[in-house]
Amino acid sequence: MTLQKFYICFSLLVCQFLLAQNDSITKLKEVIVSDTNLKKYSDSQSVQVLNDSIINKNQASLTSLLNYNTVIYFKENGLGMTSAPSFRGTTGAQTAVIWNGININSQFLGQADFNTIGTRDFNSIAVKAGGGSVLYGSGAIGGSIHLNNDIRFKKDFSNHLFLSGGSYDTYSTNYRANVSSDKYSIQVNISRNSSDNDFKYPGTTDQKNINGEYYNTSMNTTFGYKIDSKNTLKLYSQFYDGERHFSLTSPNGTKTKYNDYNTRNLLEWESIFDRFTSKLRVAHIGESYKYFPSITSDFFTYGKVETSIIKYDLAFDVNEKIKLNAIVDYNRNKGYGSSINNVKRQVSSASLLLQHFVTDKWDYTASIRQELTDNYGNPFLFSLGTRYQFTDFYRIKLNASKNFRMPTYNDLYWQGSGNPNLKPETSYQAEIGNEFFTKNFSLSITTYYNSIKDLLRWVPSQDGGDNWSPENTNKVRAYGTEVLLEWRTKIKNHNLTLNGTYAYTVSESKQLIKGELLYKQLIYVPYHKLTGSVSYNWKKVSSYFQYLYNGEAYSTPFNNPATKVKPYNVGNLGIDYDLGKNNSYKVGLQVLNIWNEDYQPVIGRQMPGRNYTIYINLNF
Amino acid sequence: MKKFNKLFLAVIISSTLFVSCSNNDDNNTPEPRGNYEGGLFIAEEGVFEQVNGSISYLSDDLKLEKDVFSLVNPGKDVKDVPQSIGFNGDFAYIIVNRGNKIEVVNRYTFKSVATISTKISNPRYIAFSNGKGFITNWGNAGDPSDDYVAVIDLTTNTVSSTIPVVEGPEQIIENDNKLYVAHKGGWNQGNSLSVINASTNTVTTNFVVGDIPSSLVKDNGTLYVLCNGRPFYALPETTGKLVKVNMSNNTVLSTIDFPGITHPGFLAIDNNKLYYTIGNNIYSASTSTTTLPTTETFKAKEVSTLYGFAVKNNKIYIADAVNFQDPGNVYIYSLTGVLSNEFSVGILPNGFYFNN
Repeated sequence: MTLQKFYICFSLLVCQFLLAQNDSITKLKEVIVSDTNLKKYSDSQSVQVLNDSIINKNQASLTSLLNYNTVIYFKENGLGMTSAPSFRGTTGAQTAVIWNGININSQFLGQADFNTIGTRDFNSIAVKAGGGSVLYGSGAIGGSIHLNNDIRFKKDFSNHLFLSGGSYDTYSTNYRANVSSDKYSIQVNISRNSSDNDFKYPGTTDQKNINGEYYNTSMNTTFGYKIDSKNTLKLYSQFYDGERHFSLTSPNGTKTKYNDYNTRNLLEWESIFDRFTSKLRVAHIGESYKYFPSITSDFFTYGKVETSIIKYDLAFDVNEKIKLNAIVDYNRNKGYGSSINNVKRQVSSASLLLQHFVTDKWDYTASIRQELTDNYGNPFLFSLGTRYQFTDFYRIKLNASKNFRMPTYNDLYWQGSGNPNLKPETSYQAEIGNEFFTKNFSLSITTYYNSIKDLLRWVPSQDGGDNWSPENTNKVRAYGTEVLLEWRTKIKNHNLTLNGTYAYTVSESKQLIKGELLYKQLIYVPYHKLTGSVSYNWKKVSSYFQYLYNGEAYSTPFNNPATKVKPYNVGNLGIDYDLGKNNSYKVGLQVLNIWNEDYQPVIGRQMPGRNYTIYINLNF
Repeated sequence: MKKFNKLFLAVIISSTLFVSCSNNDDNNTPEPRGNYEGGLFIAEEGVFEQVNGSISYLSDDLKLEKDVFSLVNPGKDVKDVPQSIGFNGDFAYIIVNRGNKIEVVNRYTFKSVATISTKISNPRYIAFSNGKGFITNWGNAGDPSDDYVAVIDLTTNTVSSTIPVVEGPEQIIENDNKLYVAHKGGWNQGNSLSVINASTNTVTTNFVVGDIPSSLVKDNGTLYVLCNGRPFYALPETTGKLVKVNMSNNTVLSTIDFPGITHPGFLAIDNNKLYYTIGNNIYSASTSTTTLPTTETFKAKEVSTLYGFAVKNNKIYIADAVNFQDPGNVYIYSLTGVLSNEFSVGILPNGFYFNN
């Protein structure tokens, strides 16, 4: 209680000083961003962009990148195993993953598995906190993660090769080739990651991580072609193929494995006529999995969903200050599998968005979306946001929105257990952001409140048996504060960069405990999470240190103190040297978990102790 | 600029303070009582995949000791779903389902004697006959054709042979040199009993009793089989049945259907009386009954998820799994439903094993 008070005081106090984040993303004309609406309609929210220099310093999984650089908490079932985010105290399915503007959360689970998304295929990854359903549809409640590939129309031929090898036979390769002119642009990315992942548990025990091996291969291609000065064609394509054995929780356990195969293809035709920009997008997303309950047997269960999307976005600049977008989209899924009969689902939506720069210092956005579905109602969504810049170093942001998450394929159609009468989850939220910024410094402090109703949960069915089925159950109230900090300084040859994030999160639902209704913290939502990183560059040497602190979290709905997830601190250290003259040829070493922290992000799921990686990073 | 840095530092420092405040909940490990004669053990599965199962002991004078196995045997564990316990001679056999092993202990001291893990795959329950142990195993749960009963050599504590059976062998009970195995069905829905000859280790017969046979209780040469009926998600849904089997000739003596579509939970017998559960209602009837009572004897209103059930010496023991994640409860009632005791136990308590 006192703790909460402290934080409220603290955030109020800080609001007196506020700082803001740099919006200094200089837009080069020849770079075409895949998702222009992200920037345009998120000004009143907090968006953190992780560029490829940050991506390369981190391990290749999206879990690792976001865990060490953002406020998002990860429920990772052991290194490389299934991993779900909790963003602003929400559940895994309440964070949307957006690939070049298209929502790619699994149709089966509603959530993306952050260990099946490699980071090195993308030019940048943006993390947007707070609701985004008007633009990104289902699941953008806690926030959204944006995987972006840029297209450059500039005469260029460049190659990038990243190779790393580390403890437990962990290897990672990424090759990127870029060929472009002022007329066309091709970028090809190929990544491969694999590991035996057979680490010894830290501490005195002899136990090892058994059956944790994995590999994944992905290829991401972007192609752009300027037909003429007004028309551009863009093609984005990704294939991902991975196999993971799921590590055992006890030495004699049954060994299982899981295969993922995902394809994503998107074609966009952009035309510009005076003040109109028209974008027609056609996409096909395929996701499939196979689960082998025992690796010694050929038996498996499987599921497959194919999604076709047509999206039309017409932007109209009324004048310099008023901009409008009208978007319609149509989605069709077809899914089947060992527990899903052949089912089709159709969802369409229409949105209107307005951006208005009232003065140099004040702007606002207002947007609405109407969903039309054939099986879970027709939610109406909105988002309102505004910014006001008080001084040249302080800005305030306000945003309020209504967001939703639709029931998943499993929720609706799982044979026997699926419940066709589910409603979508609905969230109303509001936030205040304060930004302080100077040339080399930015600080943002955001306080939010989020009320979610009709939470979808699988609960044991009442008529006995061992069956569970989904229901719209609880309400959740989540509130908290996020702090993002960045500071750069340069003295002669010495460059220093400091980044930090901190989140205080309360996310509660009512639980009936011995006849009494009490608010309890959601499972796997820590009250405190902190990350920090320091980079120091001197001439050809660059070094960096990353720090992660996760506070304790509960693992049971009634918050049993005996089964808490213990707090943990992890630090990683890296150093590299650039051998190149005109090109960059970096050779580096990383020590991960330097003080050999013994920790389990999920009860029973051990993470490795101190381990090492060497890498080379060539750009030519 | 400096101010901001200080503020940020304040956040960092304050968060570490909170951490250190909340770190003081390490409870001192209690001493085990050491003597477990009489009383009962409670198998507590723990949450699937979380490896937090345990065994509790409740003495005759109703003193509870939690996590007995780990207390007595440091460095060893039964945490990965201790499904059930069997007694034979001086020994108790703890069936660790997901851990794919059997921990053998002295039943009076609970000290570890042996661990059996070879040829054990997804083990469920154990029974004893003819100087051997018989353990039902699902094998690979997705494979309907690899299920078996493992035969344990009780002198060496090893699996001496395996007997293939049809899918989903669950409860197993011994009578007169024979073993009766209920095929609840594993991942699917079973409906039969297998009879195994304990001398030859072979299945002598398999016959249909009813859908989802879950409880087996013997009394006076008759085997009482409670069948749950097929659940709504496995069409066609069927109602539960109480089936009596004559164990001298392995034939069904009688079958009583539950009215409408009803899925009963557990069956127990004490002093020639049947006790069974539907939801958290407790019913009772004479073992000789040919009809089922229309009203419950009492409703265990304290219980949110009835997950284990036993009746012994005029007391009804109920295990409550609560929300399947938080610690469970055990309630003791009189035969008429007067609550006499309640205990907070380990996670997902599923059964009672009386040590006498």
